[in-house]
Amino acid sequence: MTDITVFDALPETVAAPEASRPRLLVIGTALAAMAATMGMAGLLGIYVQSRAAVLAQGEIWLPKGVTIPLTQPNMMAITLVMSMVAMAWAVSAIRHDDRANTHIALSLCVVFGFAYLAQTGFLLEIMGMPAAGDELARPPLFYALIGAHMLIMAAAMLYVIVMGLRTLGGNYNAKDVEGIYGAALFWNVAVVLYLVVWYAIYITK
Amino acid sequence: MALTQTRTETDSTTDSIQTSDSAARPALERVLSTSDHKTIGRMWIGAGAAFVLLALVLSTIASIELIDLGSVGLFEDEGQFVQAWSAGRTLLLFGGVIPVLIGLATYLTPLQVGASAIAFGRGAAGAFWTWLLATGILILAVVANGGPAGGSKDAVLLWILALGTMLVGFCWAFVCIATTILGARTIGMRLEHVPISTWSFLVFSLLGLLTLPILIGELGLAYADVSADYLSTKVDRQALLSILNSLSLAPALYWVGIPVLGMGLDVVATQSESRVRFHKPALALIGSLLVLSFGADILTFGGRGRAIEFDNAVLVLGVLAAVVPILLLLGMAADAVKNGKPATNTPLVAGMAAMALLAVGALVALLALIEPILEFVADASNSEIDVSSALRLADSSFHEGIRGLILGAVLLGIVSSVHHWGHKIWGRSLDDKLGMLSILLVSAGTIAWGGAYVISGMLEQPALPGIGVGPKDGVEVLNVLATIGFAVLGLGALVFLANLARTALGTGTTPEPWSGQSLEWTTSSPPSLGNFASAPVMESTSGMAVLSQPTPNKAEEA
Repeated sequence: MTDITVFDALPETVAAPEASRPRLLVIGTALAAMAATMGMAGLLGIYVQSRAAVLAQGEIWLPKGVTIPLTQPNMMAITLVMSMVAMAWAVSAIRHDDRANTHIALSLCVVFGFAYLAQTGFLLEIMGMPAAGDELARPPLFYALIGAHMLIMAAAMLYVIVMGLRTLGGNYNAKDVEGIYGAALFWNVAVVLYLVVWYAIYITK
Repeated sequence: MALTQTRTETDSTTDSIQTSDSAARPALERVLSTSDHKTIGRMWIGAGAAFVLLALVLSTIASIELIDLGSVGLFEDEGQFVQAWSAGRTLLLFGGVIPVLIGLATYLTPLQVGASAIAFGRGAAGAFWTWLLATGILILAVVANGGPAGGSKDAVLLWILALGTMLVGFCWAFVCIATTILGARTIGMRLEHVPISTWSFLVFSLLGLLTLPILIGELGLAYADVSADYLSTKVDRQALLSILNSLSLAPALYWVGIPVLGMGLDVVATQSESRVRFHKPALALIGSLLVLSFGADILTFGGRGRAIEFDNAVLVLGVLAAVVPILLLLGMAADAVKNGKPATNTPLVAGMAAMALLAVGALVALLALIEPILEFVADASNSEIDVSSALRLADSSFHEGIRGLILGAVLLGIVSSVHHWGHKIWGRSLDDKLGMLSILLVSAGTIAWGGAYVISGMLEQPALPGIGVGPKDGVEVLNVLATIGFAVLGLGALVFLANLARTALGTGTTPEPWSGQSLEWTTSSPPSLGNFASAPVMESTSGMAVLSQPTPNKAEEA
């Protein structure tokens, strides 16, 4: 709170402020998550439609020399599912006013998030998808889709970090879990979006 | 106070202390650091109105070039013409119309739901500054030979990035507005009790959050395409126009008409000293536009910015069905006028004209369905209907005409709303005679612009008018008419902006010209920080203010 001097100047007769309205952060997060989902759905729609059009012409979707290994995508899926468990742990911990466990669980989530980003970078490197030169313009579509999800995941990590710091500062506890709920909501949506990408791109190729 | 925090409701003494604290700071610092929804709303409205004027000037200049289709006059080449033409279109929608609507929503929704502040006040300020900065960069990118048909790859990339950032700013603002309506309503106000304008802002925001991210995704894809040189030439880059067209076609374009319908009903009822008799049906009709004007179909699966074709049945049904709620809402407004004592002033006349023009646009758009429906009937019945003789309006300037009618209606709606709530926003009323002049000019300009392009579309002028395609009978005359329309519309915007500036920059307060029935009318004009001295309690179920306590701020004034 930056308005400390203002509040210090208040006369004693001033009534205490009412509690802030509940759930605003969760509602706002749900709306932001909805927007992120629509953005990904749009790109996935274009990707799937383009792939279907190419396959219908009897051509191969992936450019020559490009392979999508399954080890990394599967590991990323498992990593992110584990991060959902960690997030559930964080929510449970804050509801029991257990800040130590909350911080451990949130930190674990962020670590899982970094693992996902690092693994995606590694996957893109070993796939050998050319940045340009493909006559069907598939690489931009692929990179836009994967990049969009990486951005969403990075935003989710930032959200978790901020909420973790605010919990450290005493903003959230068993009576006010809104920030952690919000972070958990956005995180889980980001993970579910990856699972859709995982199936639509990596599994069905 | 953190970005995610909402200012708590406090005693009015706190407000006075904070106000005096704010007054001690330099004006620039106050503006840059504000999280007050009223200041942010004013900034959106002012900046948006200025960009409307700039957009219309650009569109007029580009339109002059179309008077002679056989040669290039004003511009060096066709690419430069496309730059000016697209910049005018982009700025009008994303730089002008949508920001002003967001400004009105940012200012009014907390007041109408009885909240002391907008949800995520600093987020709302962040949304405005993000958009403003991105709009400035967008203009610079166009000047640096970016934009669709731009010659400089770096500038084109900058243009895409700026446009995407503008849309992110909109989404950010929509989250703040929708969260305020969904979560910060005062005690006793259920969602079905909110004023119709607030409801329309909610539908507008939700639809924005459902469609704009798809557009952002497309822009991300375009960025990757340009980066990897898949759109390497100026002609290739004209494909970027199709992304902009996405929201310029019916029924997706009706999205910007939704707040006009909601505000129009509230304005007309208040100015007629009556009420909208069917409050909940009105909410349901506006809500139906959430489904009917959902633009995702055009944005992706229907192909990039493709015109209406019948194999895209969802789109056809959307255009067809959206007419019903628009006409019914117009009927409700007429009913409120009939049952009340209407005042012949700018808010009422502009409000009715806006709704009527919106209905005309939606009805004229039905012409685009003739060809696809005939095709469907021919396919279904295996008959030999000669579809080629039907009107072929896909990819013609017909849709540009519909766009003109709808956006003109929205501009009239903005004139109506700003005049209606002007006193609430600045503490001073806008000049009514200048308002009437604005209505006259905006209406005439809209009909000339929209009507000329609708007819030239029927004469097969392409959607992206070409220069150097050779003269064509009738079309050039219509292009002259459209140019005059742009100029007259620009003049109307100039009169409106001058009226707005005169009010916003003036001093002193004038008596409140009228009093409505929703919560914003129960507090002072403009409201002090915190809006209400204490949270109002709604006891009415009709969406109108019946308070369990006197109107505190007005009592203080007395």
